Amino acid sequence: MKIVVTVKLVPDPNAEKRIDPATKRLVRTGVETVLNPYDEYALEAALQLKERIGGDSTVTVFAMAPEALKETLRKALAMGADDAVLLSDAGLEGSDVWGTSYAMAHALKKVGFDLLLVGGLSDDGSTGATPGAIAEYLQMPLVTNARKADVVDGALKIERETDTGYQIVKAPLPSVMTTALTFGEPRYASLKGIMGAKKKTIAAMTLGDLGLEQPVGAAGAKTELLAFAPPPVRGKGQVVEAADGAQGAQVIFDFLKEKKLV
Amino acid sequence: MQNVIVYVQHKNGSTPKVTFEMATLARKLADQLGGKAHAVVVGAGSSQLADTLKSYPLDAVHVNDDAQVDGFLLDPIVDYLEAAARAVGPSLVLVANTLGGKDVAGRLVARLNAGIVADATDFKIEGGTVEAVMPKMGGAAITTAKLKSADYGIATIRPNAFSAQAGGAGAAVQPIEKPAGKSYAVVVENDVEEGTGELALEEAPVVVAGGRGLGGPDPFDQLLKPLAKLFGGAVGASRAAADAGWVPYSLQIGQTGKTVSPNLYIAVGISGAIQHKVGMRSSGTIVAINKDGAAPIAEFSDLVVVGDAFAILPELTKLVAASKA
Repeated sequence: MKIVVTVKLVPDPNAEKRIDPATKRLVRTGVETVLNPYDEYALEAALQLKERIGGDSTVTVFAMAPEALKETLRKALAMGADDAVLLSDAGLEGSDVWGTSYAMAHALKKVGFDLLLVGGLSDDGSTGATPGAIAEYLQMPLVTNARKADVVDGALKIERETDTGYQIVKAPLPSVMTTALTFGEPRYASLKGIMGAKKKTIAAMTLGDLGLEQPVGAAGAKTELLAFAPPPVRGKGQVVEAADGAQGAQVIFDFLKEKKLV
Repeated sequence: MQNVIVYVQHKNGSTPKVTFEMATLARKLADQLGGKAHAVVVGAGSSQLADTLKSYPLDAVHVNDDAQVDGFLLDPIVDYLEAAARAVGPSLVLVANTLGGKDVAGRLVARLNAGIVADATDFKIEGGTVEAVMPKMGGAAITTAKLKSADYGIATIRPNAFSAQAGGAGAAVQPIEKPAGKSYAVVVENDVEEGTGELALEEAPVVVAGGRGLGGPDPFDQLLKPLAKLFGGAVGASRAAADAGWVPYSLQIGQTGKTVSPNLYIAVGISGAIQHKVGMRSSGTIVAINKDGAAPIAEFSDLVVVGDAFAILPELTKLVAASKA
């Protein structure tokens, strides 16, 4: 079974993000590019499924990112993915959710798979709409927020989290799946994995390989960013030392009263 | 786009509050765009829910109690919404920014060849064009983006960001025909509800959250819950508390958990690492109770009380209870 996992390369989410007031852009200097943390969970799920299914199952990592970020994919390979595909093209710059999903779906069709795992959310954009749009363009079922999955008699049996609890669903292969964080903590890359990753293949793909009918990139985008601003400044508030429980509670209560919150 | 269509997410007729927030918002946007406000509600229990929706300022509520919607995952809903959108014509589709809403929104992006603005907290209509205001990167940036297409656009709506107000002339409830010739592949074998009756964290007007400083699971039930309940709010937690197994991950607020923006956020024994901050920094008022007045949370709290949470919380609960009595 061929499992493909899409990963996104994002600025390190653990770094404090700042907007440069002059350029109104995200300050990237000194911020490392990493695998989107949510996608590491999807990769973990793919590796678990590969181990469980066994046979000649493989895990391929797919990313759409500038070529300069290619080496960031080594981490996924070190965690245990067999190979990687990187879709890079200057013409993709400025793509919105629609364009990203449209281009990725066409590329993933070329890559081919039995099961596609897509990270549910990205740290930088957080629309959560990309997996659905990709599945739609691929004309395939979408099962999101999986916390358990198995292949039983050639079909997927999935336990998925919902807004009100959980569901057990059965989906055919091929399908598109996203994972919940409860699927399992991403594994660490072993030293052997890190050494081995250096020899694994990262294949290159460009827009020319896709034969898209509609323009992507900034020209084809269906949304346009008008403003990118830092949030309203939240000033440092007051700090009060509580002498005891009753006094501390009174301070909070008076404050809430003043704010008309009680 | 002139019209607005609300996708009503529900289970057996029970829907989150954000539905009514969207119904109210739809009227406002439709008026500014010069179109009509519609809602689509399908699946078991829809007629009953449509009765409630009627009292919100919509023009039309399109209903079908089709049980197949509940038997198969996602796709029947998307087919209904696409059919409604095609029938209504160029429109903005509003979908709640919930787990289920995001799935629907994603498929509609491709189905309607439309742009999407996600997690919107405000809108502006400029010359017939829809502009959405959206906090991004856990509130580190506030972006404004416009939907360029004149045909269709999708917006996911942050719960609790808009107010819900009943009123209007009373919407026309009308049946929507089941899309013909469709077959569905993903079977829902079992649908289990958990924690029903409890307010969703994202929708709570007040969140009382606990962290490492609470030292175990018991204080969440014994100290945090009573206070949250008095406010009609919900209990949340930091990642440290969820990782320690003190509370389920569904209560975790932050980077890898939920994003909340209640009117009041009370952080108890939470240091305020970036991981947590991004999930709650857009809250209205932030109050922290912490042993360490120099903890990072002090940098973005409106009030920090340095002291013993175990002594302060019961007293505070008493004061709030007395004020509500």
